[in-house]
Amino acid sequence: METVNILLELFPFAILGSVVAGIICSFLGVFVVSQRAVFLGAALTQAAIAGVSFAFLHLINLEELIASLFGINVIEDSFLHHFEHTFFSLLFAVIAVLIFSQSYRQKLLTKDSLLGIIFVIAIALRIIFIQKSPTAEVAEIESILKGDILFIGTQEFYTLLIILIIILLIFSLFSKQLKFVTFDADTASAHGINDRFWILLFYLTVGIGISLTTRFVGDVFTFAFLILPASTAILIAKRVIHIIMYSIFIGAIIPPLAIYFAFVLDISSGPTAVVAAFLVFIIVFFYKKVRS
Amino acid sequence: MDKILNNTLIEFKEVSIGYAKTVLHKNINIKIDQNDFIGLVGPNGSGKTTFLKTLLGSIKPISGVIEKKEILFGYVPQRDTVQPLLPYTVKDVVMMGRYSLMGIFKLPSKKDEQIVDTSLQKVGISELRNLNYNSLSGGQRQRTLIARALAVEPQVLILDEPTNGMDTPSHYSLLNLISELHNKSNLTVLLVSHLLSDVANLVKKLILFETGRFQSGTIEEMLSEKNLGQTYSANIEVKEINGKYHIVSRHSE
Repeated sequence: METVNILLELFPFAILGSVVAGIICSFLGVFVVSQRAVFLGAALTQAAIAGVSFAFLHLINLEELIASLFGINVIEDSFLHHFEHTFFSLLFAVIAVLIFSQSYRQKLLTKDSLLGIIFVIAIALRIIFIQKSPTAEVAEIESILKGDILFIGTQEFYTLLIILIIILLIFSLFSKQLKFVTFDADTASAHGINDRFWILLFYLTVGIGISLTTRFVGDVFTFAFLILPASTAILIAKRVIHIIMYSIFIGAIIPPLAIYFAFVLDISSGPTAVVAAFLVFIIVFFYKKVRS
Repeated sequence: MDKILNNTLIEFKEVSIGYAKTVLHKNINIKIDQNDFIGLVGPNGSGKTTFLKTLLGSIKPISGVIEKKEILFGYVPQRDTVQPLLPYTVKDVVMMGRYSLMGIFKLPSKKDEQIVDTSLQKVGISELRNLNYNSLSGGQRQRTLIARALAVEPQVLILDEPTNGMDTPSHYSLLNLISELHNKSNLTVLLVSHLLSDVANLVKKLILFETGRFQSGTIEEMLSEKNLGQTYSANIEVKEINGKYHIVSRHSE
């Protein structure tokens, strides 16, 4: 209990933020896994990281531009101080999504090949960007790229919360259209639904969610929580709504538990959360196998 | 586009279809009338799907004009293209047919629920409404997809290779259902198949697709031995026994 009190005192927003990041990934994961586009998660996390690395080249100084326009002191304004990393992470992910969503109907390349290309190009760009970044900032870059749940602060928490609300709103308001186009885009189009627009909105929402969680909690956590909670939920639930609820529950409950165990065992919280999610998956998998 | 009169629903005038600059078929001039039952027959890659997509407005014609009355299409895709990982129920799938007719933010109304129930009844699978779509047999899945198309309350029903990969009883049962839907509801039906024998005894008109060739006409016109021989470059025999067409290829000795 003492450890819990220490954690709540030291990392209140990290604990809350980890829950929100877990919910974002596990909710989006249901749709990414059901679209058989798991590799999209890998490609987008790498695109987001390439964007963060690009920000460190300081080729375009957006922070100073915005600061001069609005008369803000960049150093004092902590949100603006990290604006470029978040902006370019988002931009790179959105570009990747645009390329992917607009070419999903072409027949020259399979979905997997296209995602593979985005994945390796993003990694190559990241390496090049880091090599060309100022040496003094390499350690900071590495820490941002790895991401750590414990570094989630007030602003990161509120940003994640806003993103979660936006994602839930989009998926609730447009559930009919998104359900139809992700189930059977050709028929949706034949019935007069603009499948290209709704598919683009679907992937953009996924891209924004993935890029921001990657920026705040790292690529391993994001990718793992896109796949594992949803895959676990698909094994046990018999209705779509139950899959979403179980996935969100697993995604929300594991990160704070992982923070606790990581603190007690003196290990990193992100990888601990991933291993914990995997253990839950493997237990459910064998339980299901034995029962069937 | 409401220039066409009488009972013509769709009219192709000098239409060329294809992708980008590749023309698959040109100078298409056909009329699709109310209560038509048309078979679209041709091998894979002969342009049937391109024709359908052009008709539905998913792709634009390369040239020419397609005039349509204010009609709704019910589309039944090839069964293999719909393989969801999520456990949608039969009712969920059929309700999708209503989505394009509801307001963007609106939830299904009682009327939508009733139409879904009626559509399930029409295809004879009311008792399956709460089952998982993935747990159904091929024939039941196809009926679900037909029910979804009927939920649009369409004037034109388009079925893309509906009997593909089915066992013989399900195959004929489904063809009977399609015929029944056409007869009872005066529904205009476009049935795509790569098997001429499948549609020859079912439809009233035929559109034959061959690479670079497009022909349309009544069953009698299209099923002459001379015409089929020219279309398929083969020696084809057409016999009418008890009012049914039997189409066989004469092999040279």
